[in-house]
Amino acid sequence: MIQHFPILSIMVLFLGAFLVVLVGRSRIARTAVVSAAVLTSFALMVALIKPVMIDGQIISYWMGNWAPVSGYAIGIGIEVDALSLFFGLLVSLAVMLSGFYSFKYITQDDSPDLFFTLYLMLAGGVMGIVLSGDLFNIFVMLEVMTFAAVALTAFRSWNPNAREAAFKYLVVGSLGSTFVLLGTALVYGQCHTLNLAQISGLLSVNGINPTMTFAFALLFTGFGVKAFMTPFHPIAADAHAAAPSSVSVLISGVFTKTGVYGIIRVSYFLFKSMGMSSMQTGLVFIGCVSMFVCVTMALNQHDFKRLLAFHSISQIGYILTSLGLCSAIGIAGGLYHAINHTLFKGLLFLTAGAVLYATGTTKLEKLGGLARRMPQTAALFMVGAFSISGIPPFNGFVSKWMIYQAAYEKAAETGSIGYAFVTVIAVVTSVLTLASFVKVGQSVFFGELPVELENVKETPLSMRIPMWIMAALCLLTGVLPGLMQQYIINPAVRATLDYKGYIDAMMGEGYAAAHLADTVPLAEAKYTFAGAWDPAFWLVLFVIVLLGVTVAMMIGKSGRGAATAIADDKHDTFFGGEKNTFSQVGGGDLFWGFKYNFRRYLNVMGNAHSGVVNDYVTWGVIDLALIIVYCFIFM
Amino acid sequence: MMLVNYIGAVLLLATGFYVMMTKENIIKIVIGMGIIDYGLNLIIVSIGFNEGGTAPIFTMSELKPGMYFVDPVPQALTLTSIVIGACVTAMALTLCIKLYEEYGTLNSSHIRRLRG
Amino acid sequence: MKLLMNLVYILIFPGLLFSSVFGLWLAGIDRKILARMQKRVGPPVMQPTYDFFKLMGKETIIPDNAARSTFLLAPYIGLASLIVTVLFIPIAGIQAFGGVADIVVILYLLTIPSLAIMFGGSASGSPFAGVGVSRTMVAIMSYELPLILIMLAVGRLAGRGFDMGITFSLEKIAQYQAANGPNLFCWSMIPAAVAMLFVIPCEVGAQPFDVGEAETEICEGPLVEYSGTPLAIFKLSHAIKMFVMTLLFTALFLGGISTGMLWLDVVIVLGICAVVTLVCMTLAHAITARLKVEQMFRLFWTVIAGLALLSLILVWIGI
Repeated sequence: MIQHFPILSIMVLFLGAFLVVLVGRSRIARTAVVSAAVLTSFALMVALIKPVMIDGQIISYWMGNWAPVSGYAIGIGIEVDALSLFFGLLVSLAVMLSGFYSFKYITQDDSPDLFFTLYLMLAGGVMGIVLSGDLFNIFVMLEVMTFAAVALTAFRSWNPNAREAAFKYLVVGSLGSTFVLLGTALVYGQCHTLNLAQISGLLSVNGINPTMTFAFALLFTGFGVKAFMTPFHPIAADAHAAAPSSVSVLISGVFTKTGVYGIIRVSYFLFKSMGMSSMQTGLVFIGCVSMFVCVTMALNQHDFKRLLAFHSISQIGYILTSLGLCSAIGIAGGLYHAINHTLFKGLLFLTAGAVLYATGTTKLEKLGGLARRMPQTAALFMVGAFSISGIPPFNGFVSKWMIYQAAYEKAAETGSIGYAFVTVIAVVTSVLTLASFVKVGQSVFFGELPVELENVKETPLSMRIPMWIMAALCLLTGVLPGLMQQYIINPAVRATLDYKGYIDAMMGEGYAAAHLADTVPLAEAKYTFAGAWDPAFWLVLFVIVLLGVTVAMMIGKSGRGAATAIADDKHDTFFGGEKNTFSQVGGGDLFWGFKYNFRRYLNVMGNAHSGVVNDYVTWGVIDLALIIVYCFIFM
Repeated sequence: MMLVNYIGAVLLLATGFYVMMTKENIIKIVIGMGIIDYGLNLIIVSIGFNEGGTAPIFTMSELKPGMYFVDPVPQALTLTSIVIGACVTAMALTLCIKLYEEYGTLNSSHIRRLRG
Repeated sequence: MKLLMNLVYILIFPGLLFSSVFGLWLAGIDRKILARMQKRVGPPVMQPTYDFFKLMGKETIIPDNAARSTFLLAPYIGLASLIVTVLFIPIAGIQAFGGVADIVVILYLLTIPSLAIMFGGSASGSPFAGVGVSRTMVAIMSYELPLILIMLAVGRLAGRGFDMGITFSLEKIAQYQAANGPNLFCWSMIPAAVAMLFVIPCEVGAQPFDVGEAETEICEGPLVEYSGTPLAIFKLSHAIKMFVMTLLFTALFLGGISTGMLWLDVVIVLGICAVVTLVCMTLAHAITARLKVEQMFRLFWTVIAGLALLSLILVWIGI
């Protein structure tokens, strides 16, 4: 029975999309269909946790019952191991929470029925990629996903920049799809099969000839485009800013993870190239460049959602760096950071959407002092900001801590000091991330309230509930990392390193042993920590201390906060004796010391992101050429 | 192994990339995307070709061992890819129309409000 | 019994009571010695304690523009996280909660008090606070790079001694120093110690690096709208932070001094804390002027980070 759960989980979303087209006009029917679809999909994924993650089963399902004939895969296979289930859970959780958020949020746009059709198609496409065991199926689902995302980016007819963002996204995105298809075709030409497990087996036997190196470079770059690796990131900034916020949650939290998933499948499973130190260096280098470039670009932005988009890519840089280290703790850190990123980035984008819904703008210069009118949204924003900066006890800290350890241990293991610098760059990026969010906090939520924003109201309840759920999950995954690791992360890590089990489950027992000359272990699947971190203990301690301090010290008299009858100037803002005028220190005015020292670099970077689509395509093609050359020289 | 096909496909791909990188008219960029699709489809079909094979259209009773036909799988892949290419072109041209309505120009170096 | 022991650790030693008393005393001798260096008489050593109790009796005025809950809650969060940090750093071999946190955790925990000041100031809605928030954040950005390099260098040195490659755990660093003598006496650690002496005033917010709270330029920056008990808590946090940073310096570089008697060890450690305070905070305050924001950033990212990097490279190649 559970054999059918993965395919049902995908089909329910597509079926929901088609049904919404039919019944879309009526709001109740639409809400019912969408809720049913996302809830069913999520429930099916959760139902699979016990067999796949805890018991270690690998579910394989052949579409149309076309089982392999004499060791040759002839059907399209769906294979769910712990890694696929990990990403599937992440995807269905984000889809569910963001879907519930959209019900109220989309009332400000027109044609909500088309929105939900595209939304469910996007969700179905992404589920199809992470659960699939067939290379061309991945490509088709990739295209479905890209279409839906482009259409949703262009969705807002009242935003004139949305079409430009969608066009650039389509052009560069189709470039990525081209690379993936070309790589798939070359792999087919060599192995005459499209099944991931069989390709994995055949490629270990036949070895890697130059065509296969070329195919690897193409597949890697193609999935990298989807994950918004460094030279491909400007389109991400445009797309996130133009799309409705619930879709931005999906693009940043789910879409990019499919790129990461594709990279893991290609490097760890198909080509098993992660064991080579040149590959590790390459991926770590790309990750570090992503991290640092995007976070410095983010400090320069004037739009809330564009800033969040740059941070999103910076965090993907963390994940790529950690995966590139190819040690058990590195993979664990990367996967943990993937789920954390979906949670806290989703929360931040939903907060940005709430601000947009209430005030009608996301420009940092026009906002200010919103915490007095929208206190819960401000609190949720602070939870998200602390999570992304890695402040304990939220979840960002745990995964970043594991990444620092992994990088530094790799440095000690290989004796090369370069990996120590990876740790340093990661910490510096973390501090710069904190800086950006202090900037956003000061310019959006704190400070003085502009006159035109006097009447904004708090976010509606149906939008607040998904945000509170995400915030609670951020705190929980930060305070209970032991549970998370035992049940969710560790099985996924073992599954990543155990490609033999994957092949056997798909093609029948003994296939791997017959075809793999010798199984090269990529890394040891157990790890010990160089430091210590026990957050539940720490949190209890913190709460005790906080209570003790608060109780002992709250003896001062507190003055009035909101305006009461008597008007006096004791409660006005201090201006040094001058007249009290409106002066909000806005986003563009902050961190002058940093911007001054980096002015040449920021100038160059700002001009490089020129906004012309030809430039972005040129970067993409040059990057592909560099990766191909690198692969040929070192592999 | 049809060398002519492969050289042609590589030339098409190179032309497509060149057009996408240098031409400033967004309709030409869409045409460039189409040319890349053609090159890609040509490669996929050529991979499946077996010299001297027949078309892979049989009923179950006619199949005997030793029959020699071209590989049907790449043909299926190509069909899918052609359809996807058509959809991409349709969506891209729609966006071009909308961009022209908004910006009044088809020149990509003038369509750059989102930058930095 | 264990619970009672833990409560004693949290509230008395080395927790709330002890660190408050000692921190305020450190702040007091800092002001007194500074005054003597400037040929003044100066306030009594207990002055910060008197200030603290006086402020607690004053009225708390919350401005109209402020976001109330953040404004009132921020000082307590800063104080609580400082106390938690103190509990994780070993004092002469006594570690209140050993094996629970390592130096990366401490690094992040130390940003929380500065974050509390920033968010509190931001929430007060004053433009002076906005400028102060910006400068305080640039100060944090400046000192984090050298601090992580210093910690990596010390971690590598201690880890090599234990054949683990690296270690992040303060317990192991203390054990390494107990076995091999204080870290400061290794040649490779001297640049790192010098860099740390610069990082300490920047983190505490003492001159010449106190751009965040420049009294003469931006009217004390984020703290401008605070009064009464929250301001008292912020001043207390400032004093405790002096204690925490100097204690961290001792734990990283001068640990392992043991005379056999526990109380004498503790007194020695506290004495070293006082000496470090005098050297890096009082002396620097007396003889220099305040640096501008961009000068401070440039200084930390070039010279100080260079020193720490030198130390890291030296440790790595095995000196």
